[in-house]
Order: sequence, then structure tokens, then C-alpha cells
Amino acid sequence: MTRTFRHDFPIHLVLAVVAVLTFYPFLFMVFTSFKTSPQFIHDFWGLPWPLTVANYRDAWTRIAVYLVNSIIVSGVSMVGVLILASISGFVFARFNFPGRELFFFAILGLLMIPGVLTLVPAFLLVKSFGLLNTYGALILPYIAGGQIFAIFILRSFIASLPEEMFEAARLDGASTWQAFRHIAIPLSKPILVTIAIMNILGTWNDYIWPLVTTPDGKLWTISVGIVTFSNSFRGLESWGPMFAGYVIASIPLIVIFLFSMRYFIAGLTSGAIKA
Amino acid sequence: MSELTLGRHTATTPAKPRSRTLWQQIVRYRESYLLLLPTFLLILIFNYYPAGSALYHSLFEWNGANLKQFTGLNNFVQMASDKTLWQSFGNLVQLTLFAVVINLIFPLGAAALIFHLRNLPMAYFYRVLFVVPMVVPGVVVLMIWRFIYSPNLGLLNELLRATGQEALVRPWLGDFTLALYAIMFIGFPWVAGFATLIYLAGFQAIPLELLDSAAIDGASTRQRFFSVELPLVMSQIKLVTILTVIGSFQNFATILVMTNGGPGTVTMVPGLFLYRNAMHYNKMGYACAIGTLMFVITLALTYLNTRYLKSSVEYTGG
Repeated sequence: MTRTFRHDFPIHLVLAVVAVLTFYPFLFMVFTSFKTSPQFIHDFWGLPWPLTVANYRDAWTRIAVYLVNSIIVSGVSMVGVLILASISGFVFARFNFPGRELFFFAILGLLMIPGVLTLVPAFLLVKSFGLLNTYGALILPYIAGGQIFAIFILRSFIASLPEEMFEAARLDGASTWQAFRHIAIPLSKPILVTIAIMNILGTWNDYIWPLVTTPDGKLWTISVGIVTFSNSFRGLESWGPMFAGYVIASIPLIVIFLFSMRYFIAGLTSGAIKA
Repeated sequence: MSELTLGRHTATTPAKPRSRTLWQQIVRYRESYLLLLPTFLLILIFNYYPAGSALYHSLFEWNGANLKQFTGLNNFVQMASDKTLWQSFGNLVQLTLFAVVINLIFPLGAAALIFHLRNLPMAYFYRVLFVVPMVVPGVVVLMIWRFIYSPNLGLLNELLRATGQEALVRPWLGDFTLALYAIMFIGFPWVAGFATLIYLAGFQAIPLELLDSAAIDGASTRQRFFSVELPLVMSQIKLVTILTVIGSFQNFATILVMTNGGPGTVTMVPGLFLYRNAMHYNKMGYACAIGTLMFVITLALTYLNTRYLKSSVEYTGG
């Protein structure tokens, strides 16, 4: 134990410094979110005392609507992606229909098309559908784009499931739907959770698309809303509510993180591989 | 429907279907096509059509509505002499190179340190610890950095004042020479990211026997790191490099939020320039031409990647 500690000590020292540098800005955000403006100006570095919880009430009344929009948009998109990607992934993995490779390549090829290329025409398309300032402008393209990588992952996962299981189901007279519902889906659960988290992260953090397609601001997601919220404090000596807003905006993802840490880490790494 | 239960997996497909005509096979698998229909409808409408439209309209002067005039390669000729576009590509190259170098040093160092810890619960603790900041929404992180660089009561300026370095106080993001560097510096110390996780996974995949034999041969920690561990995480290093390049290439939201390309155009990047041409100047055709150029560069990078980087991933067992 002591030998371990003696070996580890210099490493701990470096990592601790790095951790402090990494986390200090976030701690500063939390501290400041509880301060009044005079507290902030006169005691910039100090801990907040007494706690000004009113900052959170102020911030909440102004950003709750963005948070609700984000939950709707990310939630519905995630469900849509899971449904479409699991069906398509299943079909690609277990049916040897003519043209299968060609169809799959048509999906894979999309990974090479950068978002900046499609941005302008996609915006004009959504506009011509009359979808600007609707949830559809966000959700439909999010499902379309989000399913691509999900199909890629699910296809290889479902293809790796032993054929004997499906064979047995077939002999017992199971329909396609039953094989999908009772074999493929239950076995893919961990990977589905990972895909769900990855997808939520992507749509939650997207900034450009909601900015472009919901110009009137009523359906702004939290990413766009928080920037406007922050800009509205320019020239106002009011830091507390601003930082309280940042904290509130961070809470939903932190909650998801706490409940699914393992899947979350898997999702972050596979999300990276996607980019 | 009932006789059509489950299609056979490739490996077990018997030779029989070959006797059927292609049309019979397609009819036999009609259910598969039907099930793929929603997926393909969506990607045709929202992915393929916009991509094709962008390539097509790069040859037009187009405002997205009534004005649409074929001008051949005129947009591309115009791009060649567009100073802002050149400047933005220059910035992009600098930002990308910096990001690549950073990701080769800090996350790799952090992952190596965590890997070298003998106390495994502590190693796990650090791994989780450095994931937590990734959970904070990206835009919130940018807002915090905007506050750090804020000219009045900003964290960095206050730190300089508190340490007696008042001469260095400045509006970081509004400074013509420093704004781009300030943007590069976002995320310092750069360890809380997916790169650390990928490197750590690479280190943990190194067979223990290799490390043991290095120890038996009397290798110092340094020798062990440079001669054993580093070569064995080379595939992760390449992966992170590719992802960093692609990520840096696509991302212009950071610049839009932090400086909007300013002051002047000193922090402009191609993506933001495209966005501005489309959304502010209504030059949709020109924007599509910029997008086309970026698409071509992406293809070139993908080609270079598969040709020179990817091959090694297999033999190190990625």
C-alpha cells in the first residue's frame, strides 16, 4: 500500500493540478450563480455567502421554455432514430435481399458528406416545406441524419448474433416481427442505450441548425437559447442569474450521466468515432 | 406473409435461390424493401437531395428564391480571388494544426499518467472525473470561456490583476493579433475529452506480458513509455488525429458564438464564411460553391487517411 502510494504520488500531483485547472471554471460558474452583483464585484474570488437562490428563479423563468424544447426535440428524435435504425439495422443484418450491399453503401456514403455542404439547401428545403419555426424542422432532419451511424452500428451488432437463435425461432414458426421484437431487440439493449445517449448528446449540443430553422425564437433549443440569454446580459451588471442559467442548462445531461455512466462513456467514444 | 418468415443470413444461404429470377427474389424479399422505405425516404429528402442540390447550385448565381442564373465556374473563379476566403482557410489550417498538436500531447499525457497509476480505483476515479466536463453542454462551455476572456470582469483579466500583471490585461477576443490564439486556447488544459478516453482504452489493451518483459529487461519508466507503450497506441494516436482534423474542419459554431469571425475577419473560418454568405448576404450559390470546395477537401482527406493512416490500424490490432 505505501509502496503503491509512493509510486503514485508524483502522478497524483500532476493529475490533481490538471483536474483543478479543468474544473475551476465550472466551480466558478456554480459559485457565481449564487452571488448577488455586489458580492460578485467586491468579492470576485470568494465563496458565495449568503446563497442567492433568487438567481435560479430568475434564470428558470427565462430558459425553462428552451429546456422544454430541447427535451421534446432530443427525446422525439432519439425515439425516431432508435425505431428506424433498429428496423433497418435488423433488415440489413438478417436478410439477404438483392441489392443489400448497394443499399447499405448508399447509407455509409453519407458519412463522407460534411454538414456544411448540405446546410444551405437543407435549410431552403425545410423552408419550402413550410416547416420553419416548427418542431418538424428540427426533428425530421435529426432523425434522418442520426439514423445513419446508428444503422451502421446496429447492423454489425445484430449480424454478430448467433444464427441458431433465429433458426430456432423460425422453426417454431416465429414471424419476422416476433424475431425482431423478441430476439434482436432484447439482445441489442446495451447498444441501443449507447446509441440513444449519443444521439441525445448530438442534438442537445447542436447550435447551427436550430439557429437557422427556428428564427422566431419560440422553438429554440437550449443551445441557441442560452447564447441569446447570455447576450441579453451584455452591459447589465447582473452575473448571478446568467451563471444560474448555465447551471440549469447543464442539469439534464448531468442527470442522464449519473444514471447511465457506463453507457455514457461508451457513447462518447463511439460518438467520437462517428465524427 | 406466413410462409415468408425470416430471411437467411448470408453465411447460411443455400445455392437454391440462384435458380429464381432476380424479379422473383425481389418479390420474395418485398418485406425487406418495405421495412427500409422510411429510412431511405428520410435520407433521400434530407441528405441526398441537399447534397446534390449544393453541388448543382455551386454553378449558379442563386439567392434561394427568384434569382437563379447559371454562371458556370464563375463562383469558383471568384473564390480564388476572395481574400476573406483565403484568410479563413489560413485560420482553419492554424486552428487544425494547433488542435492536432494539442491532442497529441495533453490527452495522451493524461491517459499515460492514469495508466501508470498502481492504485486502480484511483485510476478509475480519474477516468470518470475527466468525463464529467464532457457532459456540460458545449455551448455552456463556450459561454464560460467567453466570460474567462471578458474584457471587464473576466476571469483571466481578474487573475492578471490579482497577480500584479495589469499590463497584460486586454479584451482577449477583441484583440486583432490575439483573438485567434484565444480561440485555440479554449478548453485548456484539454484533457477532458474523448481523446483521453480513446488513448486510455489503447493503453489498457496492451498485453500485460509485454509490459512485464520490459520490466524484467530492466527498462526504465521512460524507456517503457517510448519503446513499448507509445508504439502500441499508435493506432489510437492516428484515430484521434483523424477525428481532430475532421472535427476542426467541420466546426464553425465555436467561432460564431465566440467572435462571429471578428474583430474584422481575423478569426473567420470557411464554414462561418459560407454561413454568412448564405444567411446574411443571400449569396446561396456562392455558399454552395464554398461547401463544394470543403466537400472535395473532405474527400481528399478521407482518401489520404485510408491510403496512409488506416492500414496500420489493423496490424496493431486497434
